[in-house]
Amino acid sequence: MAQPVLTISRLAKRFGPVQALGEVDFTLEQGEIHALLGVNGAGKSTFIKILSGVYTKDEGTIEIDGRSVEFRSPRDAIAHGVAAVQQHPELVGDLTGYENIFLGMEGGRRGFWSRIDRASMRRRADALLARFPVEIDLSRRVSSLSVVEREIVAILQALSRENIRVLILDEPTSTLTEVEKGVLFRLMAHLRAFGISIIYITHRLEEVMEIVDRLTVFRGGRRITTMSVEAARAEGVTLAELMLGETLDHVYPPRREDAGAGEVVFSVEGLRLPGVLDNIRFDVRRGEIVGVFGLVGSGLDELSKVLFGAMGPAEGKMRLGGREIAPRTPREALANGIFLVPGDRRTEGLTLSQASVFNMTLANLGKASGLAGLLRRGRNRRASAALAEKVTLHPPLLDRAVSDFSGGNQQKIVVAKGLFAGADLYIFVEPTVGVDIGARSRLYGLMRDLAESAAVIVMSSDCDEVHGLSDRTFALYKGRQIGQPSGDITRGRLLAAGIMGSLH
Amino acid sequence: MTATSRLPSGFYRVLAFLALVAAVVAIFALIEPRYLSMRNLTAVTRHMAANGLAALGLTFVVVVRKYDLSFPGIASFAAMTIGFLIAGGYSLGAAIAAGLGVGIAVGLVNGFAVAYGRLPDIVTTIATGSIVGGMAFLYTGGRTIFQNFMTSGLIDLNDIRFLGLNASFYFLIAIYGVAYLVLHHSRFGASFRAAGENPVSAHLSGIPVRLYTMGAFAVCAATAVLAVVLILAESGTADTNEGANFLMPAYAAVFLGAALLGGASIPATLAGTALITILLDGFSLLGVPYYYSDGVVSLILLAGVVLFDERLRREAAFLMTFLGFGRKIGETHP
Repeated sequence: MAQPVLTISRLAKRFGPVQALGEVDFTLEQGEIHALLGVNGAGKSTFIKILSGVYTKDEGTIEIDGRSVEFRSPRDAIAHGVAAVQQHPELVGDLTGYENIFLGMEGGRRGFWSRIDRASMRRRADALLARFPVEIDLSRRVSSLSVVEREIVAILQALSRENIRVLILDEPTSTLTEVEKGVLFRLMAHLRAFGISIIYITHRLEEVMEIVDRLTVFRGGRRITTMSVEAARAEGVTLAELMLGETLDHVYPPRREDAGAGEVVFSVEGLRLPGVLDNIRFDVRRGEIVGVFGLVGSGLDELSKVLFGAMGPAEGKMRLGGREIAPRTPREALANGIFLVPGDRRTEGLTLSQASVFNMTLANLGKASGLAGLLRRGRNRRASAALAEKVTLHPPLLDRAVSDFSGGNQQKIVVAKGLFAGADLYIFVEPTVGVDIGARSRLYGLMRDLAESAAVIVMSSDCDEVHGLSDRTFALYKGRQIGQPSGDITRGRLLAAGIMGSLH
Repeated sequence: MTATSRLPSGFYRVLAFLALVAAVVAIFALIEPRYLSMRNLTAVTRHMAANGLAALGLTFVVVVRKYDLSFPGIASFAAMTIGFLIAGGYSLGAAIAAGLGVGIAVGLVNGFAVAYGRLPDIVTTIATGSIVGGMAFLYTGGRTIFQNFMTSGLIDLNDIRFLGLNASFYFLIAIYGVAYLVLHHSRFGASFRAAGENPVSAHLSGIPVRLYTMGAFAVCAATAVLAVVLILAESGTADTNEGANFLMPAYAAVFLGAALLGGASIPATLAGTALITILLDGFSLLGVPYYYSDGVVSLILLAGVVLFDERLRREAAFLMTFLGFGRKIGETHP
């Protein structure tokens, strides 16, 4: 085989005490599509950010065509022929496709006074399109284009510098439909035929089988293995095991022996929201935690919002404590006894500039106030202090603005808010994103305590977390439920269900 | 629970504010000794009552992170409504109630359009403010109303005094006390503040965010009407542009107060009102034309914002260019 386009050896990157990437060797052949696989935090993002010049490496070498290069900025990387398309490409909605492609280099010249030469821009874009035939009307405004058309504009933008040989695509399909994915894959095949090499990041194994030549698995900041797609097909589910590695069992509180034996506290049947969720059906029993695993785009966040009345209305039946409920707003859901710990605590769960006591009492102001709606200050402070102690808030300062707490402690404040509100069903979405290991363990303990008296559902894109914490689990894949909640499903099969859409 | 109660930074902010007031008073007193007379003190407190009421409702709108530019128009319309009813022989109470009614109705329209219709707040309130400002002309075709003002008891509101100060000042303090309890110590205030800072989190906490946003516009309209009642009582006549002088002082009071005390709050607006009124009154005592004094006050607001609060810089800079200088240019070329 010819010389690889890109050869990386012993690449390493450290953020403070965290070794994000270590001893990574990697080669990219000319004209291949190479997938990077790995769970969240495996090091894929760090790797491609170094490759595209966003981060600088601590150690190791990067060679292009056998010559060693140093990337100090994305501009360096582009000058050497490496371009990245972000997961959510930053395009200017009010400009046309043409204008976006040549943004910042109109007329081929830089500078404030350089004239925008529409004719030459169009000629060059058409030349680009002649090389990479896709059906797209570039004279339309980007804001009127579909998701896949925007992705294509972003790819053409990356390729508008003619020296580009390596293209990095970061999860481009997470929000695409099947038809749209076909369009993207055809373009990728064209690029490959043209000798351009593509590094393709995805969570979805079945796509990997469809389009890529080779794949590399990352785990814990290391490269675990690289193999051809044929070899991967033969491996099957064990590929999922490769991505997961060892469990951190000591982080999770012990499961109950008699999981699934208590009476049903919460159940949903035939839950359906067109285009988002399809026929979801499960129940949660007293004393257990039910876990739902799903990737971005699986409908996980949407499911939590539908259950909480923040999205919908959806078809189907929900029963909580024997009563049929149909919350249309979060206010009604709270009144029905449901509390949501939302996936993005900073934008959805907290009022950041306000004190912790303000946030803890916010979801049940009726309980927090008395005559004429005046807040019962002393009582609320005592209750909040008790909650701070229960969730081990550190430091336990009631008047401190929430923004001054660490991520883990902010999440504890959201949990305390839920405890103050008092619910029969607690839904946790991505409960430990940006939470350190000590606080994680404490949060898991709290969720386990909650399950004693209430129903608890955990939804996460961290397969380990869902499997380690829950008594029964199932996966969500593109809005479909994969399997019924079960305590027997293995970690590898749960991951496979979430990334391939089947249990086998 | 509020930013102002957080010692020691809040404590130093209050000290800095008091020092600033003392410095301003000292400068005016040096130039014009009459500034410290009882008569001037009465005038300052009377003006403070009207400005403070207009700024009070605006505080609620700013807390829910919106802007209302319609309240001067609402005040003018309410003034003419009240004047027309008094001239028509209705009782003072009925006239004021009617003025409040039409004002709050317009405020609810603003709030509904912004909160439920998702229209842009600034554009919407400029439009509604212009419309009702125009409707103020409908009663008399633009002529001043004064009939029955003497006998209705309206003028008496201006003349009642206690310990040398106008009743309106005590009314101001009382209504600020109520507003303080509502905004900073009640569940409703917690809802206003949560809805303003993070509407998504507030919605997920069960707070009817749109209802509170609409409510803030209604409160703003109501206090603007109360403010214009004091102006009617003082002047003894109702004019078609009676509310026009509220805009700059009210915005200056809210934003200067927020800059001084570290965030929009009822005490901050009171502090801002005090400072702005002291300044405007001092300039008028020195015989400085209002089109200069407004500019100076606007400059001081900008300086205060830049010095005290980085976060508010952008918003206030935009608004003051718009209000302070926009108005000056408009009125020197009629």
